[in-house]
Formats: sequence, structure tokens, C-alpha cells
Amino acid sequence: MNTRKPVAAALAIVGYIVMLVPILFVVATAFTSGSTLRFPPEGLSFQWFDAALSYAPFTGALLTSLQLAVASTFLALAVGVPATLAIYRGALPGKGLVEGLFLSPLIIPELVVGLALYQQLIITFRVDNWPVLLLGHTALLLPYAVRVTGAALAGSDVSLEEAARGLGASPLRTFFTITLPILRPGIFSAALLGFITSFNNVPLSLLLQSRESRTLPITMLDYVQQSYDPMIAATSTLILAATMVIAVIAERTVGFAKIFGGINR
Amino acid sequence: MVHPRTLNETGYIHEGNRMTRRGTFALLLLPGLAFLIFGFLAPAMGILFAAPGTDASEIFIRLGEMLTDPYDLRIIGRTVGLGLIVTAVCLALGFPIAYILARSTSRWGGVLLALAIFPLLLSNVVRTFGWLVILGSNGALGQLLVHFGITETPPQMLYTPFAIVMGLTQLFLPLAIIACYSAVSQVDAGLDDAARGLGASRGRTFWDVVVPLSMPGVVVAATLVFAGSVTAYTTPYLLGGSRQRLLSTELYSYSSVTVDWASASATAIVMTILVVLVSTVAARIGRKGATA
Repeated sequence: MNTRKPVAAALAIVGYIVMLVPILFVVATAFTSGSTLRFPPEGLSFQWFDAALSYAPFTGALLTSLQLAVASTFLALAVGVPATLAIYRGALPGKGLVEGLFLSPLIIPELVVGLALYQQLIITFRVDNWPVLLLGHTALLLPYAVRVTGAALAGSDVSLEEAARGLGASPLRTFFTITLPILRPGIFSAALLGFITSFNNVPLSLLLQSRESRTLPITMLDYVQQSYDPMIAATSTLILAATMVIAVIAERTVGFAKIFGGINR
Repeated sequence: MVHPRTLNETGYIHEGNRMTRRGTFALLLLPGLAFLIFGFLAPAMGILFAAPGTDASEIFIRLGEMLTDPYDLRIIGRTVGLGLIVTAVCLALGFPIAYILARSTSRWGGVLLALAIFPLLLSNVVRTFGWLVILGSNGALGQLLVHFGITETPPQMLYTPFAIVMGLTQLFLPLAIIACYSAVSQVDAGLDDAARGLGASRGRTFWDVVVPLSMPGVVVAATLVFAGSVTAYTTPYLLGGSRQRLLSTELYSYSSVTVDWASASATAIVMTILVVLVSTVAARIGRKGATA
């Protein structure tokens, strides 16, 4: 780090400590052989990992979270990609309005969207929790799907598609041979981003959960409230490991900073 | 040779069936619009006018009470206050990091940028949980303070505003860094050199050149952090306990503990207005800054 800017460097170090050190403490606590969150840990053991992996509420919730994340990401892309094409290639009137509409779920607090779906669909219309969770998560991911794939499309040259059409390719053939390859990195980025966003979500799922469909983050929150033992640290460490795998995949493909930070380096 | 563009402009291929093309594209929008309307817009409207078994008038009466009742006002004030503190802390820590990263030429710059972005991928529950280990009664920070004789017994840090500020800063600092980083990288490093060459001190160059030119990014960072902080649930729930009530925890307890729909709706309205208001004002400032 640059030593000629001492104040900036000191603030930067404090910033990194606040961002990263709590994560290190979670990992350290996960390997304790004791039964409290005392620090330093009392000894080394893997018992809390065993406990976490055989704790039925967590494994069940993990399955629910994975299903929900995969299904909502798939749905958001399935309806989002065609919408992106229409917005950026369709020359439709009111393009700005439609685009704003698709990005609007980003403005309203997720907790408020959760309350809205809970009140209207679960209480008033008695819809089951699972479809409402799926609907809510899909609406939440739609802005990401439209924005990320839209960025891939906006950065490409429309004359490629016009050339294909001009040379006699059908609209479908143009889509599959020209547009889809242009979109592919955007779709991949949106899928990773969508999966992570849905999997980690708390505020939207909070009111929409039921005993049968409870996601992992919510189950973990409930657990911390009742008991205060290192099993939650072990579960967190496993989530951290899985997240790191996703980060590596992102870096090896489209680029980590590009997908998750929206930064083109 | 006939260029495809020319074909297009003369209407040979596209103009003739432009209407059907538009129709096809409009159809492509429909599934997405259906999801937005049923999964978002219509239910959101319901918060205002059709909470279960509640009249719109009850919601608005409760909203009026909320803006005058001392208990409710204290919660709104605490939420906004904590949001402002977290925003200030995130800018104070995030801008220097963004500045160093954007001006870094070493390969460590990329690693440090990745380390700043990575926490965004990690579950908020996992990240916030670390503070329970650090700030808890048997936690590391308390032990450290006792060990060095600063206090006799570990002070109460968990379930205080301090804990919430730490937790929220950890959550939203990456957003502040990314927004500031994008802005600072667009400020030509040559300008720094020019100012220095003309005799400005390092500090003066930073405050008079880098910061003003990065203002649009700073405004975006502030908006993201503030909006995130006043709507966050996980952090106040885990680190604030039952005494540090905020709008988000109130909204949850109105909807699922006391089941008071008028209050839940009113809280949701206050929260939404707060976020939308701040975003709109910030967008104005950002646009003014860009044209000035």
C-alpha cells in the first residue's frame, strides 16, 4: 500500500478490518471443541461441522434455498431475456418507461415487497407459501436479469444482426446464431448474480416462509435467537467455502469484479 | 456491393413488416410484465389500500399518528440517525480505499479490489454473525479490553447502537467502495499530477481535484448505503436486540407478532417514502453535479 498517503492508508486498513475480520472470527469459532462462542476457541475439532450437516432443519432449509434460488433464477432469465430483447432491440415506444418498470423492484425495500406479497397473496388469497416465495424472488431478480443481459446487448453492434437478416437468415436463426452468443456472457453473469442474491435473501423471504418452506438464512436467524452455539459458525464456514467456489468460477469465466462489482477492468 | 444497412434503410427487409416486428417484440415483454404486475406492483399497491381486513382510512390515520407519536418518531429518528452515521462512516472508509485502489499500479490492487467485492457475495447472516463472536460477552473485543486493563469487566457492546453501526458498516462498505472506485477511476490521474506540478499539496490535490470530480460516485455511494441501512433487517435483529428497535424490526413485529396491519402498512409506507425521497434527491444532486 502507498505509504505516502498515511491518512488514506490508515482509513483503508480500518475499512478492510471491518469488512473481513468478522468473517475470520466466524471461521475460527467453527473449529472449536468447546460449546460456546468464547474467544479464543477452546480447542480444535470438527464436531460442529458434523452437527451442522446432520441437523435436519438446516439440511432441509438448504434444499429449499437451493431449489428456490435455481427456480427463481431460471424463471427470471426465462421472462427477463425476452423482455431485454424487446427493450433494447424492439424500438418500442416508451422504452424508458418499460425499462424503468423492469428495474422498479430495486427501489422498493425488499421487506416492504415481502409484506405486500404476504398481505395480498398469502393472507387475502390464501396462496401457498412456496409459489409466493418463487414469485417474489423472481420479481426481485428480474431487474438484475434485465440490466446485466441488457448491458451485454447494449455493448454489441446491432448491425451484426441486421447483416444476418439482410443475408436472408430467419429471425429465429439470427437469434440463435448471432444474438444468443452476444448475450451468453450476460446470461451467465445474471445467472450467478441471481442465484447468489436469491440464496442469501432474508428480507423478502422473512414474511413469506412457512414451516414447510423455510430458507437457510431464515432458519439460521431463528436458530441464533434460540441457542448460541458454534454450530451456526460451522454452517457459516461451509457457506463461506461454497461462496468462494462461486467466486473462483466467476473469476475464471466472465471476471469476478465484472459480475459482482459491475467493474470493467 | 450492397451494404446490409442500406437495405435496412431503404426498407427492403425491415420497414415493410415493421409493425409485425414491433408486435413480436411487444409479445416478448408480456411474461415479464405479468411477473412484475402480479409479483410486485399490484401487491405493493395493496399495502396502501387493501391490507387484510383494514380500510385505507385506518392506514392513513395510523400513518398520521406515526408521524406525531413520540414513540414512533423515536424509532424513525433512530433509523434515520443510524443510517446517516453508517453512510458517513462508509464514505470516510470507502473513499480512501477506492482512491488507493483506483490509483494503484501494483498487482495487489486487483487482489484488494477482489477482497472488497467478495463480501457482497457472502450471506448477510454469515457476515453479521461474526460480530456476535467479536462483541458478545465472552467475545474477542471484550476479552482484549480486559486483558489490557482498559476495563475491569467486558463492557456491554452487543445490542447497542454501536454494534448496529459496526454491522451495517461491514455490510455496506463494499457498495461504497465500488461506487467511489468507478468514479475515481474516471478521474484522469494526469490531473493529480498537473495539480501537484502546479504546486498544490497532496492534501489540496485530493480535496480540490479528486473529491469534487468524483462527486457523482460519492452521491451514488451515499444513496446505496443509506437506503440499505434504513431498510436492513438482519443486522438490527441480530445485533440490536429488543431495545434498539428500528423501522425494519417494527415492520416485522407488526406483521407477524402483533398482526396489526394498519401499523405494518404505515411503517412500510414511511420506509418506502424515506428511501424513494433520498434516492430522488440524490439523483437530482448527481445530475446537477454532472452538468455544473
